Amino acid sequence: MDRRRVVITGVGVVSSLGNTPAELYGNLRNGVSGVRVMTEWTGNGEPSLGAPVPLTAAMEKTIPRTWRRSMGRIGIFAALAARSAVESSAFPAEELPNGRCGCVIGSTMGGSNSISEAYRLMLDNRLDEMSAMQFFKCVSHTAAFNVANMLGIRGCVLSPSAACASALQAIGLGRDLIAAGTQDMIVCGGAEELGPEVPVSFELIEASGGFDRSAPEKASRPFDASRRGLVCGEGAGLVILESLEHAERRGAAIFGEILGYATCATGTSLSQSDAAAIRRCFELVYRDAGLEPSRTGYVSAHATSTVQGDREEAAAIREFFGDRVPVSSLKGHLGHTLGASGGLELIASLEMMARSELLPTLNLERPAEECAGLDYVQRVRPHEFDFFLKNSFAFGGINATLLCSRYCD
Amino acid sequence: MTREEIIAAVNNTFTEMLEVPPEELSPEKEIFKDLGLDSLDMVDLMIGLQRKFGVSLRQNEEIRKIVTLGDVYNFFEKMEAQLRAGETPANRE
Repeated sequence: MDRRRVVITGVGVVSSLGNTPAELYGNLRNGVSGVRVMTEWTGNGEPSLGAPVPLTAAMEKTIPRTWRRSMGRIGIFAALAARSAVESSAFPAEELPNGRCGCVIGSTMGGSNSISEAYRLMLDNRLDEMSAMQFFKCVSHTAAFNVANMLGIRGCVLSPSAACASALQAIGLGRDLIAAGTQDMIVCGGAEELGPEVPVSFELIEASGGFDRSAPEKASRPFDASRRGLVCGEGAGLVILESLEHAERRGAAIFGEILGYATCATGTSLSQSDAAAIRRCFELVYRDAGLEPSRTGYVSAHATSTVQGDREEAAAIREFFGDRVPVSSLKGHLGHTLGASGGLELIASLEMMARSELLPTLNLERPAEECAGLDYVQRVRPHEFDFFLKNSFAFGGINATLLCSRYCD
Repeated sequence: MTREEIIAAVNNTFTEMLEVPPEELSPEKEIFKDLGLDSLDMVDLMIGLQRKFGVSLRQNEEIRKIVTLGDVYNFFEKMEAQLRAGETPANRE
């Protein structure tokens, strides 16, 4: 069956380093880190590190209360990013409710802070004070339906949940729905709000921790010999996916094309990345796109700064591409924004392609021996390229990758 | 509480919790039709008023008869009068 071509016509971000794609990109390019000590998390032991979004009440109140009342932090992030994405696409507002437009936004935890609030009321015997809105802030699809509601979307509303691969699965699913002709446009991507439960869990399983708290900006260092683990972040990264014919008909600006998407399970481990499974995901995505891997100009790595995960991803890239494809990870700057990471990093990679340059991995000073043999980007590098790969791998043994290209007709 | 104090407390809940502009708040305004609230807002409004007046309202059938903002003022004025008269409403916590 012929597949419709799917292009990206809008982008929107909320992040620790800025709430417009230009502001985010500027901070990434200047080597700014969003990581700090989370002194507001009190408990046993030293506070964890995190990369929070500096969300203000004024920013929240730009969303009318009618829509905002059912949004927790993750819903606010998704709504702000969705509004920017739609604006940047200049998508006709009158088409949003026509049933041909959808919303697919994934996350790891849904409204985790709202769930904590509800349990706090229960433990304090104050459940009669629980808001009628609490349910809508808690549920795992809270970001997706809140955005759909705000925009008046009446097509498919879905919320894939696959931890750190959620955003890429959402974008991949969106691609499939448009390619098959089910929808013409979809607001797609991932969102995540930061809470203490995920960082603490990661410290327990030794995927994180042991950081020098006097230099939080140095803590996340993908592929580096002295990496100690990941630092959690938060935010939202959403794109407007559209069928090429629809985008052309309305004369939309096109940021890039989704050429291929693949997701597969590792099948052997809940928590350990596996080079063979990642390589299999690469094979699937190039088969899906019908493209020779040799044409790839950049790999936006998942690389979270964990000892084991970075090693396995580096091995997969080395075995599949050799050392001729430049590689970097943006988690040195942003930390690991979990369900949002695939969306945010995709948007930054599109901007790199538009500017014909590559951004380096922050804090990658000395590539680890076990990660050797790749072309690591360690400073801003002029580089013209037309195809790039965006990777995301998740606990639970989920692999996902997206192959994007510069648009040409 | 005087009627003026009750009105101030109720209005404060509408402006702070439901972000209704103060100039919209007059007794004849219908809560759903004129102030743009819905049944979900009503639940949260009751929670806010419970907190402010220190009473439990969820099982109170009189609440269901409220249509206008003036009805809300009258509801709490009546409840206050009952308390002053030494009557303990069954729903007083």
